Amino acid sequence: MKQNRVQAFFNRVTTHHKTILVLSGLLFIVSIAFLPKLRKDTRYDAFLPAKDSILVQRNQLKTSFGLKDPMVIAVVNENGIFNKKSLQIVHEISEQIKTIPGIDPDQIKSLSTENNIVGTDSGILVEPFYEIEELSNQRALEVSHSIDNFELYQGSLVSQDKTTTLILAEMLDTYDMKQHEVYNALYAMISQLDKTNHEFYLAGEGAVSGYLVKYIDEDAMRTNPFAGLIIALILIFAYRTVRGVVLPNLMVLASVGIALGLMAAFGVDFFVITNGLPVVLIAIAVADGIHILGEYYELAAKYPLHTQKELVVETMVRMWRPITITSLTTIAGFMSIAWSSYMPPMVYFGIFGALGVLMALLYALFMIPSAMMLLKPQKSRVFKSDSQVDSFGTFMLKFGHVVVKHPKRIVVLGLLIIVFGIGGALKLLVNEDRVKNFQATEPIVIADRLINDKTDGTSYLDVLIETPHNEDLFKIENLQKIEALQSYIETLPHVKGSTSIVDFIKKMNQSMNENQKAFYKIPENNQLVAQYFLLYAASGDPTDFDNYIDYDYKLANVRFRMNSGEYINEKEVINKAQEYIDTHFKSPKIKATLSGKVAVDAHWIGKLGVNHFVGAIIALLVVLIVAAFSFRSFTAGVLTVVPVTISVLFLYTVMGIMNIWLAVGTSMFAAIAIGVGVDFAVHTIDRLKYFLREKKLPITEAYSEFYKSAGRALLFNFLALALGFSVLMTSSVPPLNQFGFLVAVAVIVSFLGSMTLLPAIILITKPKFFINKKTK
Amino acid sequence: MKTITLILATLYFINPFSSQAQKLMDGQRIAEKTHERNDGLSLKRNLIMELKDKRGKTRSRETIALRKYFGKEKRLVIFYETPSSVKGTAFLTFDYPDVAKDDDQWLYLPALRKTRRISAANRGDYFLGTDLTYEDIKLETKISKEDHFYTTIGMEKIDGHDCYVIEAKPKNESIKKVLGYSKGKFWIDAKLWMMRKSELWDVAGNFLKTVTISDIKKVDDIWTVHLIKVVNHKTKHETIFRFENNDYQLELSDDYFTEEALINGL
Repeated sequence: MKQNRVQAFFNRVTTHHKTILVLSGLLFIVSIAFLPKLRKDTRYDAFLPAKDSILVQRNQLKTSFGLKDPMVIAVVNENGIFNKKSLQIVHEISEQIKTIPGIDPDQIKSLSTENNIVGTDSGILVEPFYEIEELSNQRALEVSHSIDNFELYQGSLVSQDKTTTLILAEMLDTYDMKQHEVYNALYAMISQLDKTNHEFYLAGEGAVSGYLVKYIDEDAMRTNPFAGLIIALILIFAYRTVRGVVLPNLMVLASVGIALGLMAAFGVDFFVITNGLPVVLIAIAVADGIHILGEYYELAAKYPLHTQKELVVETMVRMWRPITITSLTTIAGFMSIAWSSYMPPMVYFGIFGALGVLMALLYALFMIPSAMMLLKPQKSRVFKSDSQVDSFGTFMLKFGHVVVKHPKRIVVLGLLIIVFGIGGALKLLVNEDRVKNFQATEPIVIADRLINDKTDGTSYLDVLIETPHNEDLFKIENLQKIEALQSYIETLPHVKGSTSIVDFIKKMNQSMNENQKAFYKIPENNQLVAQYFLLYAASGDPTDFDNYIDYDYKLANVRFRMNSGEYINEKEVINKAQEYIDTHFKSPKIKATLSGKVAVDAHWIGKLGVNHFVGAIIALLVVLIVAAFSFRSFTAGVLTVVPVTISVLFLYTVMGIMNIWLAVGTSMFAAIAIGVGVDFAVHTIDRLKYFLREKKLPITEAYSEFYKSAGRALLFNFLALALGFSVLMTSSVPPLNQFGFLVAVAVIVSFLGSMTLLPAIILITKPKFFINKKTK
Repeated sequence: MKTITLILATLYFINPFSSQAQKLMDGQRIAEKTHERNDGLSLKRNLIMELKDKRGKTRSRETIALRKYFGKEKRLVIFYETPSSVKGTAFLTFDYPDVAKDDDQWLYLPALRKTRRISAANRGDYFLGTDLTYEDIKLETKISKEDHFYTTIGMEKIDGHDCYVIEAKPKNESIKKVLGYSKGKFWIDAKLWMMRKSELWDVAGNFLKTVTISDIKKVDDIWTVHLIKVVNHKTKHETIFRFENNDYQLELSDDYFTEEALINGL
């Protein structure tokens, strides 16, 4: 009865095939019309929801103190930078970058823009370290001496060995989405500089996110067409017919085009990790097409007298169920990423990935049969007749013999993988470093390493100090607390230096006391601090301290510089710093809050681990439920998830051995691997049940039938997925590269698991679902 | 001479057909006229400085400012009253008529109980955390006679008062650098010879700041400014100077204008 309903349904579909094709075309065209609206957002801030409290706080801090993550240019002269030529270059670069669109000309910090505070016999003088007009080698040496006396700039502006000096440039807010343009302009500028005795490097957080846009763009332009090509080749091998290549590719196009088009239509930005989506969808979407065409050609070989309509309807009657189930399980995988993730880019990756798979399913159920109706019945040379099989089929048949012979060994091997996998999962390292998004040979990676080695580094931890009343920050006890905080945090690993208003106050005190080192300390009374500021203002600019203290002297910012952008290092500093703050800044009179890039990272990257495991568990549960309901058997449901569980556990071992971090790119692999890899198990169970229970074939015969027909289609499905994901391995973006590798390995393992372990278990346990005890 | 100019100036306004370009007063002459105005021998006043940063946070400082001419030399002393953290801080400057001679400046810090001589600040340096430079403080409503080439570009009304609009360019690179301006535009009241507004551009040619001078009233028969507002367009920082209780009559002892007086206060 039900079978008739399905048949009637596909009869209707094939009757209205022209309408369906027109509608399919329209949906596709309307969706892709939105594509030009798609906006790139590679900012790391984009990994947090805009309303996230830590992010909100950090943005407030940014506006209060005008703090940003700057572009950093390093000028290196191995013979030392304190000579006329080098300082002249620093001046020239500092002036030149003011004219680069997107750079805030008032927010450039370098030896040529910053002021020295010097004590004179009568007071203090705030003046530039040097004026370009009076620059000489002698003057350069004096600047060197000034830096010796100005602790604040040692390590932050000039390296301790004096071979490197930095120029920090901030971008205007209006260029938030166009950082790559600024990066390119800066890079072009430093490339043109005269390199005699000097080397120039461009890095810093601003540069990293700026470059990432360009880098990932280029990468996507390379990987996406390559993935399409690979898929086409596999299809050619599978069916050796034009329609066998064209139809699945149309599905792929629809799936990717509509998913991205709808992203644009809903105003969802294209994030760093979204680059992986097209390739993932290409590999997944093609599978339905492979199975439908495989079945079609098999039927065409078997029933040469059937009309096209009969063939198409019969194909769809047989295939609708497995492709619907496999699509639902893949959607479950994507949705579990959306449900388990806190980070918007991942939530959207899940949602639009699921949408893409849904589109592929709809096109498989409607568009493919409709399109086939326009064509005449056709045989594939691959499927010559019912009894004959090609080399791929023979290969799978032999494969099946091995399984039937050694079921116990296979089960033991499976158990071993589980044990090792659990061990690997426990040792999984959650870590991230945004500079690791680039190949180690990229100039930005080299620049980042050099700057982090030579100077205090460019990874910033900001600590916001809050007091209740105006001028509370003139109070000695508050200044001492800040000073103590600085000394403590500076002892933590990778923290190389810090800057706060206290440093300037100490410097002013020293200057007022004949530059004696002993007076580089906080003065003894509150009034004096206030008066120092007034005295400073006698020759300094009123906005000089904007980055460190607010106008009411109520809020201050302490900026710590770390020479590592790795999450595990940042996390440790954050934990220790928070502990310190919790004990020393508890009073209502002074409060401290961690912020800045380092705190934001520690906040969200820490969630990756939990998100990952929750996502994997949700994916497994949903797949289990979908499979159990579809097969109306809990046993079948459990069997369905066995191969994917093993594939994920196997990967934990691989990650441990290869030292792959659970990071932004890799954290999504488990859910995807489950959603995608489970397809093999679904097809295996569906077909084995068909041969064993419905056709009531004896076990060996049922297995042979299974391996040469379904096994063969699954082999191509597997090749499409494995090779498709492998394409990501050619990506020059390491996280995508690793993601592709992990999913490809997972697909291999779940394919092998579905082809070996699953049949082996069924062979050994003979569950009721498959084998009717009575007939046996 | 002054009367003739005034008559001529008045003629422009009543004759709508007069060609201003040909008959406008020479800029240099206008500059000189701003110096010929009587601004009293001595003056005691309350100076309230209100400073506002780009986020709208304000600092307010109340001071008492004394000014006296010693021949052509002008001396100015400022005693801080509030906030309490800087109470007793005092600033003294000797402004010599000879441009070549650097002004002498001292700042007394009560917390240190020491008077500090402020090293010869550039005339273009900011005055004690305000948006006015030392030069602006010195000139107040006048414009420099020596530093610029002037071009009178027209007449405009400011607050209903007719003003000459003149454009100023520093005479040479060194003046430009010292003052920190590459160009200035001044609106000079054609009757009072006081500046009512100025716009200034930094050395790189960026629009730097606008100074507006208002609330000009007669006190003891002397035209006296009561409000100066400066907006720095680059930093979005603002400064308001309010002058209250202007007193030209009070006899100010020469002793107020000494380093010792800084310590003792008023």
